[in-house]
Amino acid sequence: MAPLLRLNAVAFISPHNHPILIRTFEKGDELKYHYVAHTSLDVIEERTNGQTKSNDCYLGLLYAMDDIAAYGYITPLKMKIVLALPLTDSVVRDAEVIMTFRALHLAYYHASSNPFIRLHDTPAGVGSAKWKRFRRKVDEISRAVGGGSVPS
Amino acid sequence: MNSYPPELLVQLAPVMFVAGLDLPPAPSTSAPSAPQSPSKTQSPPPTPIKTQDLFANLVARLRDALQSQRKVSIWAPERTKQFQMILVGKDVRFPPRKLVPPEDLAYATAHSPLSPLTPSSPLYPDGLIAPIWIRKHTALVPSVFVLFLRLFEAPAMHARSPLDTPDPEHERDKTEEERRRDNDLSAEVAARKKTTNERGIKLTVVLLATRRMLDDPSLDSRLTFIRRQSGLDSRAALFVLSPVSTSELNDFARSLQDALYETAVEYYTSHSKRVRRKRNRHSQSVSSYNPPPVVSMGIASARPLRPEGWTVRYEYKMACFAEFRGEDEVALKHYQDAYATLMIMFGSTAILPPRTKRWAEAKVLADAINVKITKLYLYNHEHSLALSHHNSHMRRFADFSRGWGIGEETFEYWSWMARQHRVLAELLEQGSNSSLTFPTNSPPSLAAGASPAATPVDLDAVRALGLNPSHALQHPGHYYYMAARCTEARRERFLANEKGMSQGTNAAPGYANEKKADHLTIILELYTKSYEVFKKYSSTTSQGRLTLWIAYRIAHTYYESEKFDVAIRFFERIAKTYRREKWKHMLRPLLSTWYACAQKLGDVELMATLLVEMIGYAQDVDESITLQEDLLAVLKSSVPVSARRPLVVDLKESDPLLDTMLVFWTPEVRVGEEAGFQLSLATPTNMDLSALPIDSVTITFSDGYYPVVLQHSPPTDDQVADTAVRLVKVGKLVPEDEDEEPEEICADLRWRPGERLVVSGSISSEAPGLLTVVSITVVIAQNGWTIEMPHEPCVSHEISTLVPRWLTSLQPTRFIQLGRNDCSSVVVRHRPHELAVSLSHQTPALLDEEYPIVIDITNVDERHLDVIVDVLLQPTEVDQAAQHIIFDDQRSSGLIKGIRLGTIAPGVSATKTLYLAGSGAPGDRTLDISIQSTAVQPGVTSKCDDDAEPRSSSSLSTHAAVDSCEKLQTIVIPTSRAMTITYDVAYRRSKNAMPALADLSTVEDDFWDDSYGGIAVVTAKIECSVPCGLAVESLKLHRQDNSLAKVLDCSSDKSSDDMFPDEYLPGDTFCNVSRISLSPREEQVLDNENIAGPGEYEVVWRRMLPAGGRGRQSITRFALPTLMIPQDELIALLDVPSFAKLHASTPIHLTIRNRHSSRSAHVSVTLDLDPSDAFVVAGLRNGRLPILLPGSEEKLSWKLIPIECGYVKIPRIKVMNVRRAALPSQGGAEVDAEGEAVKVIDVRADWNSTRVQSADDSAVAIPQQDGASTILVLP
Repeated sequence: MAPLLRLNAVAFISPHNHPILIRTFEKGDELKYHYVAHTSLDVIEERTNGQTKSNDCYLGLLYAMDDIAAYGYITPLKMKIVLALPLTDSVVRDAEVIMTFRALHLAYYHASSNPFIRLHDTPAGVGSAKWKRFRRKVDEISRAVGGGSVPS
Repeated sequence: MNSYPPELLVQLAPVMFVAGLDLPPAPSTSAPSAPQSPSKTQSPPPTPIKTQDLFANLVARLRDALQSQRKVSIWAPERTKQFQMILVGKDVRFPPRKLVPPEDLAYATAHSPLSPLTPSSPLYPDGLIAPIWIRKHTALVPSVFVLFLRLFEAPAMHARSPLDTPDPEHERDKTEEERRRDNDLSAEVAARKKTTNERGIKLTVVLLATRRMLDDPSLDSRLTFIRRQSGLDSRAALFVLSPVSTSELNDFARSLQDALYETAVEYYTSHSKRVRRKRNRHSQSVSSYNPPPVVSMGIASARPLRPEGWTVRYEYKMACFAEFRGEDEVALKHYQDAYATLMIMFGSTAILPPRTKRWAEAKVLADAINVKITKLYLYNHEHSLALSHHNSHMRRFADFSRGWGIGEETFEYWSWMARQHRVLAELLEQGSNSSLTFPTNSPPSLAAGASPAATPVDLDAVRALGLNPSHALQHPGHYYYMAARCTEARRERFLANEKGMSQGTNAAPGYANEKKADHLTIILELYTKSYEVFKKYSSTTSQGRLTLWIAYRIAHTYYESEKFDVAIRFFERIAKTYRREKWKHMLRPLLSTWYACAQKLGDVELMATLLVEMIGYAQDVDESITLQEDLLAVLKSSVPVSARRPLVVDLKESDPLLDTMLVFWTPEVRVGEEAGFQLSLATPTNMDLSALPIDSVTITFSDGYYPVVLQHSPPTDDQVADTAVRLVKVGKLVPEDEDEEPEEICADLRWRPGERLVVSGSISSEAPGLLTVVSITVVIAQNGWTIEMPHEPCVSHEISTLVPRWLTSLQPTRFIQLGRNDCSSVVVRHRPHELAVSLSHQTPALLDEEYPIVIDITNVDERHLDVIVDVLLQPTEVDQAAQHIIFDDQRSSGLIKGIRLGTIAPGVSATKTLYLAGSGAPGDRTLDISIQSTAVQPGVTSKCDDDAEPRSSSSLSTHAAVDSCEKLQTIVIPTSRAMTITYDVAYRRSKNAMPALADLSTVEDDFWDDSYGGIAVVTAKIECSVPCGLAVESLKLHRQDNSLAKVLDCSSDKSSDDMFPDEYLPGDTFCNVSRISLSPREEQVLDNENIAGPGEYEVVWRRMLPAGGRGRQSITRFALPTLMIPQDELIALLDVPSFAKLHASTPIHLTIRNRHSSRSAHVSVTLDLDPSDAFVVAGLRNGRLPILLPGSEEKLSWKLIPIECGYVKIPRIKVMNVRRAALPSQGGAEVDAEGEAVKVIDVRADWNSTRVQSADDSAVAIPQQDGASTILVLP
């Protein structure tokens, strides 16, 4: 059994590259993950603008820097999700990362399926402090993936 | 990389010494007699200067060619049998193998001068391996020794005097001289051969000779002689080279290397073997008796090298020799073994006590071996193995470091880490310059298309599962960045240490050295390198966010190193992108560092600007208050740079100070109507702007209005001040062309958290266009400072609060949400034109009629309107329908455009009649009528009137300025027939006899033969079918006689005068009868063709209008029906007069015609005279007619004398065609010979009629019943 993924941070970024929600699961270093999310956009753009067009949402490892490995995911509507994993000396299985991304995407999808949100002109959108459920859901995913107690 | 001895890092290649290529010290003098080098002590006899030059040239070029063969580099993955060429003097000496001379008895037990066992060695007694050892093999001892020598050549004889005959004596002299010189040469070679043989080095001699010499027949023998004399090998030991071009020299260098490479490999192999033997011996000895430490423990330095150390040494040597041979895999294996053993040594502080000289050497060695291993993996494109080794190296040493007391808390640790990252970065950078490419690390599905064949299969299989992110190779920028980060950590520890020192703790070891390091310069250098590499590897489309992040670090470093002006330039650039993409969290620290820079530089304007922006980004109330205090302090303590010009802080891309929201009540107003608006200025709940000395707020609207200026005045009424929402009414906005400037309005311009100021007013425009707020400028005035902050009309910290809301009540505060999306502007439009349009017409329209549609337009507006009408007749879908419209002299089957009704004054109406003409088939016709109106001045020539559009609409688009309107109306008009016609056609057989065969009149032009066709009687019944009724003015038959049919006469020929005009109501019918004589040709008879009607009825009529009038004259035409040709075979026509006189003889005739085309007829006629008959008959009673040929006829006549009065039956005449019956009679005699009855037709009642509904219906013949004829007998 491979070690479970531990998430350091999750970033949701709007199609216009505005941050939607950056959720950090490490104490005290929130800013760093803003930078990780922002710089990841470069690699994401590079991958998505490349010659080989792919319909795959999963973009794989974006880069590894400091003690962080950034993984990227782009939804069909061009919303980006960036995962920051701690850089440990172990293989990160793509399948697990994809699964996590899907769960996060679904969480966003559920949160944004809300008639009271105007999605397209709100960069903050569901990420704003008002929408607590989305945050809760993201935290739950992090806990579940990170091998904490799986919520029943 | 510079921190390691280069010997330990470079890629090794076989070494070739090249001797004898010394340049002449002064080539220009070219004194042949002067000894130029030790090799030329026995200088050749004077040769012509030309030859000398030639060889000097050759030597120079050879030097170049050989030296350019291979450059010493760290990254050299290609294996092309290349030597490292080293030019040496001819008399070069190799370093001694051992310190004692070979003659000494101790030679056998002595060791190499570099061995740890030799007391004078730098490694004595326990060193592992020194860079000097590699230098020995790369610079002092070659694997191949190439010696260049001149072959003696006697001066050419014929060159001096071509006429001389070969002088035998001279020849002999020459040979002797040659022999002598060759002997000397061989001796020199032999001497060198001796020294090379001692070390197993291959010696190769290259003889330089002129091209002439190559062709000399004596050359071979001389070469053989030299080789034998000097003891050279037979293979690849002797070359002859003549002066050739540079490219050929390169070829020569190539072939020389190719020829000697094998030997070089052998040389290094033998070294390897020797070392392996030693290692084996050593390990055996260790295992066999495991000697205890020989030297007493007292002196650490005297302790000899441990067995592990020897293993490292031997493995390292073998690895190096393998590398010399170009056997990367073998080298890798040995390096790994050496590394593994080295790790064991590091594991124990007993073996390698930390912080000793040997320990430091070993650390360097371990790092260097790590670089070599990483490099060898990378050569082989095993990226993850390379990185995994490098990472584990760093991890292991990090662990060791903790044991050694130089853990993460020390600068030494971070210095070492930085060095590791940097070495890797530099290695990758070097590699990327030649052959190394970096994978994209995309997941397999993405990468599959890119390079399926690039990676081996087994790697793919591993990759499919996933990836160890730390083993993913990235471009060197990442590693430079890491090095910089580590150096930052190093500096941090160093500063902490310094701080600790000042408080009395001891200086960390190595502090003195560390103090010399300029950390910030190193960090800058690393970041800059990283930045450059990132830039190089980023795609052109990229926004450069990664580089921005590094730029941010650079700026930070500049800040640390107190180069504030440089830092500011960086911050400016970085902030742009962060602002635009709204990454507030990243912007905050950037702004505060930027502010710190500005503070240091004393740039008050920049400080003010930054503080204002930072207030906008403040996260909580306290922060915002602190920032405001800072700003106030700045403003109070300084004077603006330029007092007159206000400082403009443009907050367009960054967060605003105030949340603004402009709401118009309606999306659209008419010209002159007032549009109510509310502009709310608010602070979010986490900001307090009460300390900010806002002086005024200027609200600028679209062009043409005075801006609204709100001036701050402290609240006097506490009640008002308490409310979270304040309302300021500004009333109606004043246009600029009014002289009176509006007054400034006082309002409380201090905002506490969550407070909102709503400015409410209205605006109206006399011209159509878009009205909105262009900008809201918040002005801070303090101590001579004026800071202007333009705001957009709809901005907010949180976009979700940008919901358009309209304040409806202050107490309690109540807003209603407007359901529109864009409330921030109002569109002013012209009032629509009030035109009453009526279309009057009387359905249905009739076919063939010009149907009038009256368009009546009344201007009920106050403006003068210029009206233009377009009409489009839609194509109809009904078959055979034709249609067109007529409008104002224009006819069209489609569109009629631009019918002007002229300018219609208010209250005036204009009328136009449009005519629709449909024909062909009934059905619906569709018309689109578009009425366009444009407002015009009543007097077009007069420039401007008082009330109409007083302001020129310069700011508005011309499109909107034209006050025009369009009304569209679509009408569907059902069209029906005015009247229907029904034809009844009766065919009568002709009484005329067929023309005789030879009748000459038949060939005349006007000959008319109706004997066959007979006469068709056409009865046309025309019924009025429209509800409105018709006034029929005339009915005429237009004859169109042709050769087949002609109209004989028609009932309308005579009686039309009294019949028309007349009015017909629906259901009324009138008839017309015409007789048509038919004269079909034979072929038409045979083909059973029809004959087109020879004419058409033309009915002229008018629609009866309800008011009693009549409509336009219309003409409807009905074609005569198609006529059939009667088809008879054998027929008997009985011609009986209409009446008879009692007792007077009356003739009756029977004509029997054979109309069959080919068959002749055999006819018998019987007149049955019944006793009750009222006649006395004279004539044939019973008889047989002559055979009737086809087309012939026979006529029989009787005379009847009536003997009764009244309607009496004429005697029955029976006509039998016996010919057919006769055929079966041949079989039996008693067969009845009566045959088939032939129809006897009374020509008086010959109505073979058809009914034709309309011209194109096919006629159906209704044969008449065969009944007995009667005759009226008069007294």
